[in-house]
Amino acid sequence: MADFFQLAINGFAIGGVYALAAIGFVIVYEATGVVNFAAGQFVMFGTFAGVAALVNAQLPWPIAYAAALFAMAAFGVLFFLLVYWPLKLSPAVTVIIGTVAISITMQNAALLVFGSWPVRIPSPLEGMTVEVGGAVVSVHALLTMAITALLVGGLWFLLHRTSFGIGMRAVAQDVQAARLMGLKVGRVLAMSWVLGALLAGAAGLLLGPMWFADVNMGDPVALKAFAATIIGGFGSLPGAVVGGIFVGLSEVLGASYISSAYKDLISFGIMIGFLFVRPQGMFGEKIQDRG
Amino acid sequence: MRILRSFGLALCILAAGGVLSLVLPEYHLRLLNLSVVASIAVIGLNIAFGYVGLISLGHAAFVGLGAYIMAISTTRLGLSPWLAMPAAVAATAAFAVAIGLPLLRLKGHYLALATLGLNVSFVIVASNWLEMTGGTNGIAQIPSFSILHHAISDERSFLWLALVSLTLVVVVATLLHHSRYGRALISVRDDELAAEMTGIDTTRLKIMGFAFSAAYAAFAGCLFASHVRFISPEDFSYAHSINYLAMLIVGGEGTIVGAILGSVLLTFLPEWLRFLGNAYLALFGLLVFLVLVFLPTGIVGLRKFVRGPSRVDRSVQAAAEVRP
Repeated sequence: MADFFQLAINGFAIGGVYALAAIGFVIVYEATGVVNFAAGQFVMFGTFAGVAALVNAQLPWPIAYAAALFAMAAFGVLFFLLVYWPLKLSPAVTVIIGTVAISITMQNAALLVFGSWPVRIPSPLEGMTVEVGGAVVSVHALLTMAITALLVGGLWFLLHRTSFGIGMRAVAQDVQAARLMGLKVGRVLAMSWVLGALLAGAAGLLLGPMWFADVNMGDPVALKAFAATIIGGFGSLPGAVVGGIFVGLSEVLGASYISSAYKDLISFGIMIGFLFVRPQGMFGEKIQDRG
Repeated sequence: MRILRSFGLALCILAAGGVLSLVLPEYHLRLLNLSVVASIAVIGLNIAFGYVGLISLGHAAFVGLGAYIMAISTTRLGLSPWLAMPAAVAATAAFAVAIGLPLLRLKGHYLALATLGLNVSFVIVASNWLEMTGGTNGIAQIPSFSILHHAISDERSFLWLALVSLTLVVVVATLLHHSRYGRALISVRDDELAAEMTGIDTTRLKIMGFAFSAAYAAFAGCLFASHVRFISPEDFSYAHSINYLAMLIVGGEGTIVGAILGSVLLTFLPEWLRFLGNAYLALFGLLVFLVLVFLPTGIVGLRKFVRGPSRVDRSVQAAAEVRP
């Protein structure tokens, strides 16, 4: 039972990271209609922004995290201007292949800068554990869950209680109508990329101490985020959270109770099952005419 | 007339390949062989994506399924490659029908992610089903094709086998394109609802197109297995599926010439960029991106600079506008 508890906490923590990555992906999809196949590389960039600030520059950790997130926000703007804007009128498949091509560039740019040797980011809570009911749980895992909850709550507040967030949802509903209402659509679209990049950055920073920072980590994260998105429901924020935690739990629990070799097959099997039986996922897609 | 042009194209392929087989050094011949095999897979993808409009990110899984069936039946059961190949193609097409029945109800990015999941699942199974696939160690010593006891094992003679296969595939694909069936496929891509209204069974057509495309992929997989003579799960990862799609779009979707040009270009491009050392993949991604932005109809779209937009260009553009 203590084992199960410990595994469940780890599953929730890694699931929180997948949820953040999935939300970053969903926010961009909702606002711009772009299925961003570079979403995993965004998370990888987040981790390596942490490597640059914490390990290479040896900044104290509050400044380092702030600097890393600032770099991610700037990257979001850059991506909006250089990748999204030139492709915004292209058919969906061209956009998919375009983001894939850029993700190859991102991965190899990181390889050139940081090398292929995996690095470990220390957590500010390095080595701290607490005992809960006989189970030893790392504080970093608990903090990851807390930060995920905080970010999700903050995002909900932003989207539903601020005029900026309501404007963003209006653009997601109908770009033309939003423009006619006087919303600065271009700015809203840019901000959705910034938000997406920030969430991916947070996911990457939290993931750093759990995995090794490796330039190839983007693809596995992206695949899990996609699975989470489908299971939860394409374009749904609560869906992305539930889906992410579901994928994290199934990965950690599946690896210890079913088969470690086939642990990834469990989440993808469930994802494909959902696509067959309930393609709108658990929470359904609100906007039907996208994609 | 159209059919004559396809035979003309087939002759051009044979002539160009024949000249290249005499002048190219061994290593470039190997790349040329890989690109010819890739173009067969991409022509197959063109049926699913270019004609029917199905976004498949799992094409490499079908290439892999064909290659694995071929490899297992020749090394384990001692079957002749000539017998194993049709069996592999037929089995893969049957699998595509079985998986297509539930899968092809999905559209757009749902289908893209579902086929991506299919590809990832294929690699996981191939890496872990040790008794059957040898896991990540792969399967070695796959026999080459042989004609009258002459094994087609060196690069030069394999090129001839690959070129003959490619011309065959091109002729079949062109006949398909201009048949009643091919036009029906394209009508499903352009407007599914309208196609249905004219009495076309769109579900059946989509599954047939998908199966056709999988059969081409399996054919390419068999050729790949007998060419490289060693396969492992990594050869069929979803990165390869994306690469096939990139080849098609860079070359020019919806056209057979584009499929071939894209395959050759994207197989050789990393080689031409090799002098950049580690930076070459970073530049590769950037170049593909630039082609997508500045040549939305692919390399075949360059034709319009030579002599106004052709019928193909216009139909591709019209399709791009229709698609959401």
